Amino acid sequence: MIRMGLELNKLTHKVDALGANAEKRLANINKRLPVVQATFTAASAEQESLRKKAESVIAKQIRWAGAIPTDEPIRASFEKPEHPDRANIIAADGSQIPLDRHAIAQYYVINIGSIVFRHGLPDAPSVFTSPEVFFEDEDIYFEDNTLTTEMINAKRDLRELGELARLAQIESAAAPTVTFVDNSLLLYIVLRESNQSFSDRIIKEYLEHLTAIQQSGAAVAGVVDRPGSANIVRLLHLSTLEMDEIVPDNLRRVSDPFLHFRDETLFEFLKPGERSALFVLASPANKTYYEPFGHRVYFFFLNAGGRGTGNILRVEIPEWVAKDKMKLDLVHASIVEQSKMTNGYPYVFIRADEIAVVSSNEREQFQQMVMGSLIKRGFSPSVSQKQFGKELTRTGKRWR
Amino acid sequence: MTATIGRLLRSSTLDYVFGCSVPEPEVPLFGAFVKAPAQRGKSDVIGLIYNIAIEDDPFVRQMIATPDLDEAYIQDQRVNRQVPIEVSVLAIGYRNGDGFIHDLPPQPPITLDRISPCDADEIKHFTERLDYLRLILFAPDVPADELIAVSLRLAADCQPAEDRERFLRNAGRELAKLLSRDLARLEKLLKRLKP
Repeated sequence: MIRMGLELNKLTHKVDALGANAEKRLANINKRLPVVQATFTAASAEQESLRKKAESVIAKQIRWAGAIPTDEPIRASFEKPEHPDRANIIAADGSQIPLDRHAIAQYYVINIGSIVFRHGLPDAPSVFTSPEVFFEDEDIYFEDNTLTTEMINAKRDLRELGELARLAQIESAAAPTVTFVDNSLLLYIVLRESNQSFSDRIIKEYLEHLTAIQQSGAAVAGVVDRPGSANIVRLLHLSTLEMDEIVPDNLRRVSDPFLHFRDETLFEFLKPGERSALFVLASPANKTYYEPFGHRVYFFFLNAGGRGTGNILRVEIPEWVAKDKMKLDLVHASIVEQSKMTNGYPYVFIRADEIAVVSSNEREQFQQMVMGSLIKRGFSPSVSQKQFGKELTRTGKRWR
Repeated sequence: MTATIGRLLRSSTLDYVFGCSVPEPEVPLFGAFVKAPAQRGKSDVIGLIYNIAIEDDPFVRQMIATPDLDEAYIQDQRVNRQVPIEVSVLAIGYRNGDGFIHDLPPQPPITLDRISPCDADEIKHFTERLDYLRLILFAPDVPADELIAVSLRLAADCQPAEDRERFLRNAGRELAKLLSRDLARLEKLLKRLKP
């Protein structure tokens, strides 16, 4: 009998090569790091001219995923502000059973988990789940096409923020309140621009939720762990260009020493608890969608502490949080405080994920429930032949 | 309705394990008499709690090193996350109609069955005879002597005050019969039973 599947022995030498490659890449980054850091230092000495350059890119309507400096010096660091004795820290996360055209019926499930952590009170936090199954035509199709995974993800992001808006309205009167998603505030689907009318519908509601949070008096932030972004790296690249060199081709052509550099590396100078300067996200989507409603997205990097030298997070906030010192300080302090015992990643995020997650066992049980409902109505439900084949081969040992 | 202290996780003819959330001060206790339904409610498997274990959890493990852990985090872990507390029970008999049989049950309880504490009348009734001690004495992987001592004291408390000493003396005689070839063990056990 021959064991099929992933034959690890055939990959051994490739895995060795992978390790060697990672080592080489790191060495390469480290070699270029002093040059990039020197550029960072030089750029920080000419902040005003750098800001003018960044604004000229926006004025020229060039698609550029860089960053615009604010009034804060770009290489500045800010210590953790004092955490209020009493504050509400709220986080929401989502999980889903995806739409599967091979399944017994066309549906998908979105489950939102949320937690209200009342800092300063000894009570157990409140936890909530909000599952919903989608199966109507308007849930499954958009303009005659089945919803893509990307679209369903966007609907999940929307519901996460909607849950935060609901909780913010309930909790904000009692104490300073901050609400978190563990994702970017700039919706991915808007950045992709793949289906304009669908994105427009989603972003409209998303911005309404942001407004609802703003009106509740709470703050809101999106937090990204291990950020892969290079907005600041692009800004540094821009700093090396003269005004007349700022053209789309030059901006696109990021080369040595900036190639494959990530912002996270630039902010390793932050000590545990410190945040970087604020920047404005120079994405066209930020200007087109978020800015008109007063939700222009700013971001900063934060060392949330944890093992070794700490963990660098990227934190996105709307303009009305960035310009309100109390709210900005609450976002900053609460992330650091919440990360104290969980190695640099906020406790409420871990819990929100745990509450939201749909396990494979639950997924299977739900499918059984759907099957029962169909059988009761005289259907003899079946998965596609492809799915049936997969179930046959994947449920037991794979031998032939 | 009898209070539920947990639900069954797994079982066999010899013993069963139930899970519960944060324990109350009085339940579950080592040596306590509990019951679980079996044979579709036709009988109850009577057992003694012989181990209470709190499961390891990587998330909690990460938090234990934090010097000043706020109460809210502790309550979240205990109340909301409900890291299961596993309670192991040794089967020592079963209810058959109005009486009790001191032997292994014909069927173990089934997953998610409700586990309840035995009330004083049930314990008094069950311990009218002491044949079940034999099942404890020779049970593998159970702290048998400690379990006998604690459970007999709990059973004695269910007797009228004037009968308690007599109950324990009877128990001592029963143990003497069962351990006639192991006098050292018998002596230690009897010492534990002394009022």
